[in-house]
Amino acid sequence: MQDVGETTTVVWNDALEAIERCYELGWGDGLPLVPPTQGRVAQFLEAAGKASSEVVGEIPERRREITAGKVAANAVMAGCLPEYMPVVLAATEAMLAPLFNLVGPSSSMGGSAVLVIVNGPVAQKIGVNSRNNLFGPGNRANATIGRAIRLILMNACAAIPGLFDRSVIGHPGKYTYCIAEAESETHWNPLHVERGFKPGQSTVTVFASESPRQVRSVGHPEAILHAIADTASSLGTNMSTSGSVGSRDAGVRQGEIVVTVAGNSALWQDWTKKQVRDHLYARIRRSVADLKTAQVFPGEVEPGDEERYVSLIPEPEDILLIFAGGEESNMSSVIPSWGPKVGSTAVTREVK
Amino acid sequence: MHDGIHVENAGIPSVTICTDRFIPTAKGMAKMWGSEDYPTIFTQHPIENMNREQLRQRAEELAPQVVGVLVGGQ
Repeated sequence: MQDVGETTTVVWNDALEAIERCYELGWGDGLPLVPPTQGRVAQFLEAAGKASSEVVGEIPERRREITAGKVAANAVMAGCLPEYMPVVLAATEAMLAPLFNLVGPSSSMGGSAVLVIVNGPVAQKIGVNSRNNLFGPGNRANATIGRAIRLILMNACAAIPGLFDRSVIGHPGKYTYCIAEAESETHWNPLHVERGFKPGQSTVTVFASESPRQVRSVGHPEAILHAIADTASSLGTNMSTSGSVGSRDAGVRQGEIVVTVAGNSALWQDWTKKQVRDHLYARIRRSVADLKTAQVFPGEVEPGDEERYVSLIPEPEDILLIFAGGEESNMSSVIPSWGPKVGSTAVTREVK
Repeated sequence: MHDGIHVENAGIPSVTICTDRFIPTAKGMAKMWGSEDYPTIFTQHPIENMNREQLRQRAEELAPQVVGVLVGGQ
């Protein structure tokens, strides 16, 4: 494949000049970049044991091959440390997997970001935050790994806002969107084990998704799950709009969903992840009457439509449940997918 | 754009209809594939809120241009 992406070598006199030059070249997300010096990029490649020219994946619709060198340069610019490189590489490989269909979520008006979920020993080793403020600021690994993914999308995959990224409103997760699961704080099997990996393996899972919707219900498990299901069932998510729901005759083909549950895991001692998923799956739905009123389905509301429901999730296994967030309270979040599962599917890759 | 360019390159005459809010994206994709001259018809945005009759009317308005490109070699 021809690589039409450009490599530019620039000479500068001091750091501030270099940062300004990066702006002039149109690189990046609007925040200052760490200048990707040849020495720093080489250091990152060495940390990952990769040659610069090694191909990590491709986005054929845009004629781009993504090399380890480009991943390293963007990881440097994002402010990563060299030891984050294996995680950034695995996340890049995952989002370039055909099942993820990057060209869809990276260009769509629906506007998604790539949520990166880190599991296994590497999360603790490099300090990916899984607790207080995990979606918020203040932690280098979360902030810069997520940012590196966005910079790779913009600089290497041509997902430029207004050009090939046609997101109508975007969302803050497009700056950075990286979390870990608090595996040692819960009796639940971590996400990567549920997805076929061993506890001792490290993985990243990428998920094309909307922003997190905070769920403030903090009572007993049934009450919390009731609120989570209600939030996940709201009209206006990418899971409940016409493009995702489609014809009633075509069967359910909506998207996956990430649910984070925080607080004290003892609250959930009588619940397995499977039980939580089954409970939610039965309740994340919308009546035909509501879907008609919202013009998701055509036609007038008819008698009986109030009692007929459409599930918004294909299978219980399409709920990616993780234990994550602060210890202070049992708050949760719901993260709807960018679109139907046929449009993009979460992908997990091992961190090597 | 992507599919239209590939159909054209396969020897089948094609034309892509695109709403005018997507002009930079359409032209960017054509440039990316080295097909800057690929025939594209731009129509007024938006079309997503149109009902069936409005959409049919828009299609009828555009049809002569489509025919012109496909058989006229424009």
